[in-house]
Amino acid sequence: MAVYILRRITWAIVASLIVLSLTFLLLYFTPDTQLTELQFQAAQAGNDPERVGEAYERYHGLDQPIHVQYLEFMTNMVSLNWGWSETRSQPVTTALVEAIPYSMMYAVPSILLSTILGIGIGLYSATHQYTRGDYAATAFAFFGLSIPDFWFAIVLLVVFGGMLGWVPILFDTSVATVSYANVTQLLLPVTVLTLTSVASLMRYSRAEALEYVEAAFVKTAKAKGVSDRRILYRHIFRPASVPLATILVGDLVGIIFVASYLIEVVFGIPGLGTLSYRAIVNQDTALVVGTVLVPTFLTIIGNLVQDIAYTVLDPRIDYGDR
Amino acid sequence: MTQDDPLLTVENLHTSFHTDDGTVNAVDGVDFTVRRGETVCLVGESGSGKTVACESITQLFKRPPGEITAGSIVFDGIELTNCSERELTDIRGARISHVFQNPQNALNPVYTIGWQLLEAIELHQDVSRAAARAEAVELLDRVGISEASDRLEAYPHELSGGMKQRVMIAMALACQPDLLIADEPTTALDVTIQAQILRLLKDLQAEYGIGILFVTHDLGVVAEIADRVVVLYAGKVMERGTVYDVFETPCHPYTRALLDCLPGRGSLGGIPGSLPDPMAPPAGCRFHDRCPDAVPDCSTGDQPAFESVVGEDHEVSCLHYRTAAEPTVLESGVEPRRPSERTDGGDTHD
Repeated sequence: MAVYILRRITWAIVASLIVLSLTFLLLYFTPDTQLTELQFQAAQAGNDPERVGEAYERYHGLDQPIHVQYLEFMTNMVSLNWGWSETRSQPVTTALVEAIPYSMMYAVPSILLSTILGIGIGLYSATHQYTRGDYAATAFAFFGLSIPDFWFAIVLLVVFGGMLGWVPILFDTSVATVSYANVTQLLLPVTVLTLTSVASLMRYSRAEALEYVEAAFVKTAKAKGVSDRRILYRHIFRPASVPLATILVGDLVGIIFVASYLIEVVFGIPGLGTLSYRAIVNQDTALVVGTVLVPTFLTIIGNLVQDIAYTVLDPRIDYGDR
Repeated sequence: MTQDDPLLTVENLHTSFHTDDGTVNAVDGVDFTVRRGETVCLVGESGSGKTVACESITQLFKRPPGEITAGSIVFDGIELTNCSERELTDIRGARISHVFQNPQNALNPVYTIGWQLLEAIELHQDVSRAAARAEAVELLDRVGISEASDRLEAYPHELSGGMKQRVMIAMALACQPDLLIADEPTTALDVTIQAQILRLLKDLQAEYGIGILFVTHDLGVVAEIADRVVVLYAGKVMERGTVYDVFETPCHPYTRALLDCLPGRGSLGGIPGSLPDPMAPPAGCRFHDRCPDAVPDCSTGDQPAFESVVGEDHEVSCLHYRTAAEPTVLESGVEPRRPSERTDGGDTHD
């Protein structure tokens, strides 16, 4: 077991290094917007753009051979020196550290809520297949899956923020994290994100649990005199939790990766999504790299956690030669 | 209660499944009894209602769509069809336990053998963990699993099919039930393991005096283990009696056709035709359209009433069994021993 976990961790590190190397290559071959800008300014001021370019390259070490640049890039990345954000005039890591809490504020409650609701409703649907409750849950799931989250977010803002005035339309960063005002302004983002992710999770857990509702070992449990409730928790949910663990990780990464862009831009939350969006629009390369690497590493860590969770959850998975 | 009072009496049992296409009467008026210490075999083709009949006893089938629509099931003085789910849960595993057909899927893959055995013990007995553990080891030992205390930590996928079925039997015996319902417990196992499991069941029955309701389509197994036989076809009982009478003087053409299918009896083709549509069973005798001896009367009215024939409690539901009966089965190689002559029967049946 220890060997297996060690091997998984090694793989995670290797995967991270590959990601970083690819990032380096992409950056190496990408024209530097900063340099172009400087050269343009130099030309306007009547200076020699060539000389400015050389000075810039020397200053940033771009005149070094590729392997030297590569080593320096990797060293900087590993030591969390992720560069300077020109548009924000602060280190990239500082910008990230400032933005991440705002993403967490709505992502964490939303992940917790959608996990609990999704699995709960899914299990209910599976054990009450083809009843009214199941049909209602299915209808709800289709609603959640088909509605575009950014559109839904705008509609909610118009209705509850504009027409009813129950929640603020603009996100206010000055309020305390734990305060009524913060809860009200997070209410809509959490609702939108939960609705869209609970739907898929619910369908997955319904399908997974259904596989076991009719399983022979569930009948064995019933024949042993196990109560329906205990059958649901111990004999259906427990084996179903193995594949669900994968979906949970995917769900979590998906929320941070994709949904955050739309949600944060619509609600004006200064989180990772907005930061990344602004960085892309303003061509702040270092910041773009930083905001993309965070979810990438989250994915790698998520997969590592999932691999380890597998061995704990499913005894049939061999820790041997893989 | 004396030895001869029935432990389980099933009368006029009707179990139906409500589907989108209509109602299937899987069990359509079945009667049988099981006494303490005896083995009753339910015999019939796939789809004849054997499994539904025995899952009706503690209502293990899925409800809905399944439902017991009529009949009575009296177990040790308790009318099971009137019991609440809660009362049934208390009876399942404690007084009536089950062993199923396919041991490969019958154990939960994510728990150890020990966990599953302890669950069976602790559900119905107020014992300490240590005592339950000791009991689990003893049970595994009793069903012939070596190094029992180490095996408690094993997961189902680490055991062979035969071993898993032994674990299932150990689990079924955990609370010393009065009745064991074994639904084709040997069908998924290879022949030598089958013989071992049958012998184990017989030994355990002799030891604890439990009644066994044994479902099978394998008449070789019936000859091996049964005291009495109930022949089912399309949800109805065709014939019932002691194993000796049914094998020696089979009265229903269906019983004879089944016996003819035994290896060494010449008829490798099986029984021509197939089971009637369960949504629309034919009038008259359920078997008439496949029956070699059918006469026009067979296809009208209801299933014929039972008539007693020679032998103890030997009854048949056939209009013309007398004229059709020929004692040709005596020539078969699977002649059962008379009860007094029956020995351990551990030898295989082929």
